[in-house]
Amino acid sequence: MDIINNLSLGFSSLMHLTPLLMILIGVVVGIMVGVLPGLSPSIGVALMLPATFGMDPMSALVLLTAVYLSANYGGSITAIAINTPGTPGAVATTFDGYELTKQGKPMYALLTSLTASTVGGLVGTIILILFSIPLARLALSFESYEYFALGVFGMTIISSLAGDNPAKGFIASIIGLLLVTIGFDTQLPFSRFSMNIPQLADGIEFIPALIGLFALGEIFFSIENFKVLKKEVSAKKAIHKNKTLPLRKLWRLRWLMLRSSVVGTLIGVIPGAGGTIATFIAYNNAKSTSKHPKKFGKGSLEGVAAPEAANNGSVGGALVPLLTLGIPGSASTAVLIGALMVHKLNPGPQLFEKEPGLVYGLFISLFLANLVMLALGLLGNKLWVRIIEAPKKLLYPLIIALSFIGSYFIQNSLFDVGICLAFGLLGWMLKRGGYPTAPVILGLILGKMIEENLRLSLVKGDISEFVTRPWSLAILVLAVVSFFLPIIKKRINSSVN
Amino acid sequence: MSIYKFIATFLFLIYLGLLFFLYKGGNSNEAYPNKPITIVVHSKPGSSVDLMSRKVAELARKYCKEPFVIENHPGTQGIVAMQYVMDRKPDGYMMLGVTKSFLSTLIVNKSDVVISDFLFLANMISDPEAVITNKKSGIQSVENLVTQARELNGKQVWIGPGTGSRDHLMAMKSWETLNIKAEWVDYKSGPQSVLAMLRNEAPVYVGNPSDIIGKDDLRIIAIAANSRLESLPEVPTFKEYGYDINESMWRGFAVKKGTPPQTVQYLSEVLKKVSQDPEWIDYCKEVNSFPDFLNTKIFSEKIDNEMTETIDYLKKAGLLNSYVKKGPIPLLMMAVMLALFVIFVLFLLIGFNVKKFTYNLFLSGLFIWVALFYYYQTLLFDIPEGLNITSPALIPQLWAILLFIVSIWNLVNELKGKNKRIRSGRIKLVGKILLALLIYFIAIPQIGYFLSTPFFLLAGFYILKYRKIPVMITYSFGFVLFSYVVFQMLLKIDLPLGNLFL
Repeated sequence: MDIINNLSLGFSSLMHLTPLLMILIGVVVGIMVGVLPGLSPSIGVALMLPATFGMDPMSALVLLTAVYLSANYGGSITAIAINTPGTPGAVATTFDGYELTKQGKPMYALLTSLTASTVGGLVGTIILILFSIPLARLALSFESYEYFALGVFGMTIISSLAGDNPAKGFIASIIGLLLVTIGFDTQLPFSRFSMNIPQLADGIEFIPALIGLFALGEIFFSIENFKVLKKEVSAKKAIHKNKTLPLRKLWRLRWLMLRSSVVGTLIGVIPGAGGTIATFIAYNNAKSTSKHPKKFGKGSLEGVAAPEAANNGSVGGALVPLLTLGIPGSASTAVLIGALMVHKLNPGPQLFEKEPGLVYGLFISLFLANLVMLALGLLGNKLWVRIIEAPKKLLYPLIIALSFIGSYFIQNSLFDVGICLAFGLLGWMLKRGGYPTAPVILGLILGKMIEENLRLSLVKGDISEFVTRPWSLAILVLAVVSFFLPIIKKRINSSVN
Repeated sequence: MSIYKFIATFLFLIYLGLLFFLYKGGNSNEAYPNKPITIVVHSKPGSSVDLMSRKVAELARKYCKEPFVIENHPGTQGIVAMQYVMDRKPDGYMMLGVTKSFLSTLIVNKSDVVISDFLFLANMISDPEAVITNKKSGIQSVENLVTQARELNGKQVWIGPGTGSRDHLMAMKSWETLNIKAEWVDYKSGPQSVLAMLRNEAPVYVGNPSDIIGKDDLRIIAIAANSRLESLPEVPTFKEYGYDINESMWRGFAVKKGTPPQTVQYLSEVLKKVSQDPEWIDYCKEVNSFPDFLNTKIFSEKIDNEMTETIDYLKKAGLLNSYVKKGPIPLLMMAVMLALFVIFVLFLLIGFNVKKFTYNLFLSGLFIWVALFYYYQTLLFDIPEGLNITSPALIPQLWAILLFIVSIWNLVNELKGKNKRIRSGRIKLVGKILLALLIYFIAIPQIGYFLSTPFFLLAGFYILKYRKIPVMITYSFGFVLFSYVVFQMLLKIDLPLGNLFL
């Protein structure tokens, strides 16, 4: 029983004051990073990295992975509270999480998200410990064909996001796809559609666009429909009434959480795919298998649980290629690889043989970090609910100011603040016209992946590989099914009625 | 309420104190350096330039009385960091970490920054380019590589990150010297290229020696340097095979031109001392690089030569084009003409009945215009022939056509009255908030973040009809103090102080 030996070895090397303290610090910092719009998990990890240079390798790694893990959870808090995804991975959480808040049930959403994140994190860690070697093969087997297929699969979720008016949903997603073509071409060193504006040469910075579209767009839209505010007192009462979530409601979500965690972990394993795509796929999967698909987008607990479990499951997944192949699978793990290098640790198969205490200690620390996250999250929820209760008249200007600073932060650039403002206007214009805004983000996230990999595949020459390679074919078939299934279901339903 | 009055007064006083602290100015007559020196890095923490800069900062403590601190400003392949340095005074308190990749960046990007804006202090380290293969590929030496390339007659594939990147230029240089023909396929990033190599998807990868660390399946067949690396003694150089290929990624430091000569002298001395420190030499070994110190004069000459060489190779690769033709009329005019055309067609469809021009119709028209305008721009792309690529116009054209089709569908829905009518809400209120936002946005660079933010917040509360003054003051000034603590103190980002006061 190698694994048991290694785990006990890891346990003994972790059980010192400093690494344990680092877990606590990492979780606190991570949740803060997640909550602040503009600070994504990778930026959070990068910000903490210099602080770890003087530490022992164990403490350094434990701290950084704890930040990474809990930042993924923290992003859901603002997504639920103020419709502002604190991190890109929390976009799908806004669909139902913010709806629940509007219905006076923020605590339901916050507790579901916290539980799902914890389950996701734990499942991801277990998969990482048991299957990292076979999964490394999965990571290796993905070529441009599979990445393209995965991108297309991710896009198919628009058919279930589009709602009553498919044309509007499609338009919104193509707007996103077009906007992401601004900037450097994927194969030639020149900047497309940037109109000779130097700040646009590298494309539109994603996070300001995200913040603008969701936070500002929502605020403008709410201000336009300001009558709601007079009902604030009754909303406050509703929040008080729904302060705790009955545990049986969470228990009903157990299989969904487990399944979404596995989906998130598997997609997290694939280098470059990332947790955000996993959240969309898990959301879509939850909706298409749910007994109440109509509740999705209108405050479904399943719609909160699925993406959050997938998002935190992807953390364990992303560590697979990092530790086994030495390949960073995401922006955050790219920073982690820097941390390993600083401590003269070379990620790769040898790391497991040379430093089993460190690797397995890291695995155990992930378990602990998840539990610490759960405990701190339960405490924090009380605070978040108080923020939600604050009068909107005070909250909106504060959110606007926070969005500005979050956009400025990434490149110290006021141009990005302008991007945030412009996308805020776009979000408002779309919303009041009845266009959903989430597909724009989907296009922005997946457009590059689709274009880069389609064109790389074309350069490589053999197009038939898209259908002769098993993974690529399987994902493309899934994509077709997931695109047409909601449409067919709707047809059947409407003909029955 | 009295408690709020107390808190409001308290916060306002702290705010005044903060303003005084921020704007008091630091006029000190002490000799240079009398405050910490910033090293600006163009990539995220953990990247090679970042780690090098941090090592230099650590060792420089022995030789300089003020500490060096690292600031990361990633974006647009270094342009963001270069611009950041250019926007500051040349007082010697800001160094820029530079790498050889900046040469192509500056040539390819149409930015305002040029290479002569900088004074290159010293090169610290250089990292030889390496030609890497998979052990299963059967290419074990440079001879094997050349034989296979000739057998395949131009079909041998070399991969690496970027087109026109240093690695691509290294590949071209090698083909020239080895007298072979091969194809370059751009795998976008280092990790993706290494993954492709691990599954033996391509025979040759141009990278650097650290790429093979921890990966037993990969082998470096030669490095482009004058001598072998001490850390990898078994890896030969191209020179040993009789090919003169010398190409390395150097990393060093620069300051803005106009920095006083004594200051330049001082910094160069510190860097030189660091480069001779035994710990520095060890560090270079660890990261598989050469401790290749070059002083200001030699470094600048090297850069001049390499700039010419880079332009040369980019030209040879057919990459030094403008890529975009001039249209028959200016782009902006075309945009306006297309917009007028779309509006005309829309009015034609509703029989010039202005009442029927709904918000939804306007949006449908807007998206049709976006599709047309994008498509028009792709027609202006001017792509050089003979490159192993697919057209940059392909995907944007596909999206534009799709958008056009779906927008027409949407337009038909609208004209048939299938869409719900949009009820306008309190547009005036949104307008007021937008106006306040716009003034705030313009005011930040002028009077600074700390002066403009509380007034924007107060205005925002007021517009939204909140009237409890102590609460308003508490939240607006409290928020500014909160953002100072979180962003400036903890996260170390400089919030703008405003041009008017600097």
